[in-house]
Parts: sequence; structure tokens; C-alpha cells
Amino acid sequence: MISRLITLILLGCLPVFAAAQDATAILEQMMAKWNRVKDYAVQVNIKSEIPLIKSFPVKATIYFKQKDQFKMLSKGIAILPKQNFNELPKFLRDKNSYTALITGTEVVQTQKTTVLTVLPTDDSGDLVLLKLWIDPKTDLLLKSQSTTRSNGTISAIYEYGSQTTFGLPDKMIFTVEVKKFKIPKGLATDINRTSSSDTGKPSPKNGKITITFADYQLNKGIKDEVFRN
Amino acid sequence: MLWNSVYNEFIKITAKPRSYLGLLAITVLVGVILFALKVDGQSMIAFVTSSFEQTLSFQGTLLNGNLVAFIVLQMLIIHIPLLVALVTGDLVSGEAASGTIRMLLTKPISRTQLLLSKFIAGAVYTLCLIIWLGILAVIVGKVLFGNGDLMVLNSDGLVILQEQDVNWRYAGGFAVAFLALLTVSTLSICLSCFSNNSIGPIVVTMAIIILFTIIGTLDVKLFDAIRPYLFTTHMASWRSFFEEPLPLKEIIKSLIILLAHQVILIGLALYHFNKKDITT
Repeated sequence: MISRLITLILLGCLPVFAAAQDATAILEQMMAKWNRVKDYAVQVNIKSEIPLIKSFPVKATIYFKQKDQFKMLSKGIAILPKQNFNELPKFLRDKNSYTALITGTEVVQTQKTTVLTVLPTDDSGDLVLLKLWIDPKTDLLLKSQSTTRSNGTISAIYEYGSQTTFGLPDKMIFTVEVKKFKIPKGLATDINRTSSSDTGKPSPKNGKITITFADYQLNKGIKDEVFRN
Repeated sequence: MLWNSVYNEFIKITAKPRSYLGLLAITVLVGVILFALKVDGQSMIAFVTSSFEQTLSFQGTLLNGNLVAFIVLQMLIIHIPLLVALVTGDLVSGEAASGTIRMLLTKPISRTQLLLSKFIAGAVYTLCLIIWLGILAVIVGKVLFGNGDLMVLNSDGLVILQEQDVNWRYAGGFAVAFLALLTVSTLSICLSCFSNNSIGPIVVTMAIIILFTIIGTLDVKLFDAIRPYLFTTHMASWRSFFEEPLPLKEIIKSLIILLAHQVILIGLALYHFNKKDITT
């Protein structure tokens, strides 16, 4: 009786193990493309459309070097999501820090994708849940959505062009949950303002940050000094 | 004759030690602010951006010369009227108190021209103060902290202005600030015509500014009708140059109201000074 029960439990768990194994394989294939990149420098244009923030597009240069050296140099003030594009590869590289499962299929950017749900093993970490939409034909990440304790949900759409073989996007569109920003009144001292721009409309809850990448310089070697402050 | 009189009046201003008090005060105050920002500016910036940085991260040099100049202007522009009134407030009454006004009026110059020359000399002094403030805030600020995009915090949120888009805004902002301080200068000279002692017009000028500022700040419906016409309401209009898009209508309205105050105050002063029986 007991042996039958154990067999039934094991049989019930089989699909979960299979999904986990498939998910790991998909992730490994996707990351194999990223791992071909030893370093890169790329010109970026960052356009932020955030409620309560008026800003112009900013040009910057991003430097990356394996394993996780990252630097952005911009003359102007650029706004990025708190969980920016460097965090995801960093997190996925440590295979012991998460469990991945296939949870379905979805069409993203006209491509049929496999939806992976990634659960961090550390319950006390900031990241609660990560969802990845991966095109199994090209092994490219087309969409990601991370839910964090402190920053809410941040989703990103990835568009590819010149560097498809390395899994590097030409465009990333982040959507961030914007909490009601509080302006420190003592510092915003337009005390004599006679008119208010408050239109009474509720402010949007999401902000959008579009990053366009151009002129990738791949695997040409970047000195460590670049990453020092 | 008018310009000779303006020259004489300006010489008299430069001969008074209190005229340098304003320049010295601005130098010390800006010096203190620049030092404080150099030492602990980052924590101040962090306080401003903390609400945004729960979700977003700011890349680039936030604490730069442009932001420093803005902070200096914001902190000092409220206090400079006192420095202006300190000198312009006794341009007429000071002469009445010392008894030199009667001798001055024996010169072959009309009372209107004499008073206008005092107004112009007062305007030149005010311009000197604002130029000195500009040099210290913008030029010294940029030398010490470097150039960069300007992040301005107002009650509607954050505005990030590009580095190449900032200098003309400062020029416009300083021009409006000058016009606002010129109104203070005009008010104090006007009051000076009604007094025979030096200190009275200076104190009354400051009292009027404080009263009008309180009326402007109090969120009481009773004052809603008069608030837009008080000159103190428009003294912070220099900030409008740092909004995006530029609120041109608001700026023009402020300029008209400030200029209207100046015309009325100069007219009132001329009328009274021409009719005044000079007995001292």
C-alpha cells in the first residue's frame, strides 16, 4: 500500500521535474548567447516618460565586461529603472539562487514564446517573482517581468536587430510602477505660485523608459579602469 | 544734466560703507552655501530624490554648477531685498536727515530730474548686486562643481533641463529677478521721499515685503483677489524660466505687474517730492 502511494506521488511530481528540467535547458540556451559576449561598449539613447518628471532624451555610453562589471557614462542626467538591465543576467547566472518552471506559452511581438516562471530560493530577498517570455526558436528573451518587494513590478520588452546572435537587444522598453511621489515641500519653494497646474486628473500609475542601443563594440576588450569610479 | 546727477548720486552710493555691506553679505552667504554643498551636497540631493529613487535610479552628475547656482538663487533671492533697501531706502531721507537736500536743490536741476537720478543710481546699485550674485552663483558654482544638466524640483515634480538649455534660462531668470529687486528699490526710494530719517523707509520697506509675502502665502480665500497683484507674488517669477514648457504668459504677466508697480511708485514719489516743502 505504502509503495503504491509513493509511486503515485512520484508519478504526480514527474511533470513538475520535467518542466523544471526543460525550463533550465531553455534558460541555459538563452544564456549561452549572452555568455559569448566577453565585453561590449554601446551607445544608448534613454527616453523617460515618467509621471511628475519632465526630462529630455539623454545619450550615454554603456560598458560591460564579464562577469558582472557594468558602467554607464552619461554627461546628462539619465533615469533608469531601479532594477536595470544588468540585474537580470547577474541573477540568472547563479543557478542555485532560483527555480525555473515552464508555465505556458504566449505570443509576444508576433512570436510564440515559452513563459518561464522563476522563483528565487531566498525568501527574504527583494525579488519575489520573475517571469520570462523566451522565443524557443531563436533563444531570445522577448519580455521579462520582475516583481520586487520594494519597487513593485517592472516589465521590459526586448527588440532585436543587429546583435541577435549574441542575444543583445537594439531596444528595451521598461514599464515601471510609479508610486505617488512625494515632493519635499520645504525644497520646492515656489511659495508665491499663483496658479496650480493640478488638472484634477489622476496621475498615471506607470512610467515608460525606452532605451535604444546603437553601435555595439563587441569583444574588443575593455580595460578595468573604465569600471572604476 | 540728468546723467551728471546720476553719476553724482552713484558716487555718493559708493562712498557709503553700507553699500559694500550688501556685496560682502552676498559673498559670505554664497561662500557658506557653496562650502556646505561641497561638503554635504550629496545628502541634500539624496533627500530630494529619495521619493523617486524607490523605483528609479538617476545616472549622471546631479550635483553640478547649474544646480548649485539654482539653490543659491533660491536661498538668497528672498533676502536680497533687505540689502537693496538698506542702500536705496535712505537716498532721499538720508539727505533730508543730514540736511544736504536743500543745498542739493539749489543746483540747476529740476526736482523731477534729481529724483529720477536717484532712482537710476539705485537701479545701477541693484544691478551691481544681482550681477555679483550671478558671478558668484553661476560662474564660481560651475568652476567648483562643473557643468551638467539641471534638475529642478518644484511643486509639480521634477524638471530636468539639458546643460545647453540652461544658460539662457539663467539670463532670463536674473533679468526678472533684477526687475523684482528694482521694484523693491523703487518702493524704498518712494518711501524715502515721505520721511526725514534714514532708517524709517528701510524698516517700512521690509515690513511691506514681509506683510505681502505672508498675504501671498496664506491660503485664505479673502486674499485670493489681491494676491495676483502684489509685487511680492511675482518676486519668485524668475523660477518660471526653469519650467518646461516655458510659461511665457505668466512671465509676461509678472513683468507687467512689476513694471506697473514701478511706474506707480515713481509717479507717486515724483508727485510728492515736487510738492514737498523742504524744511530740513
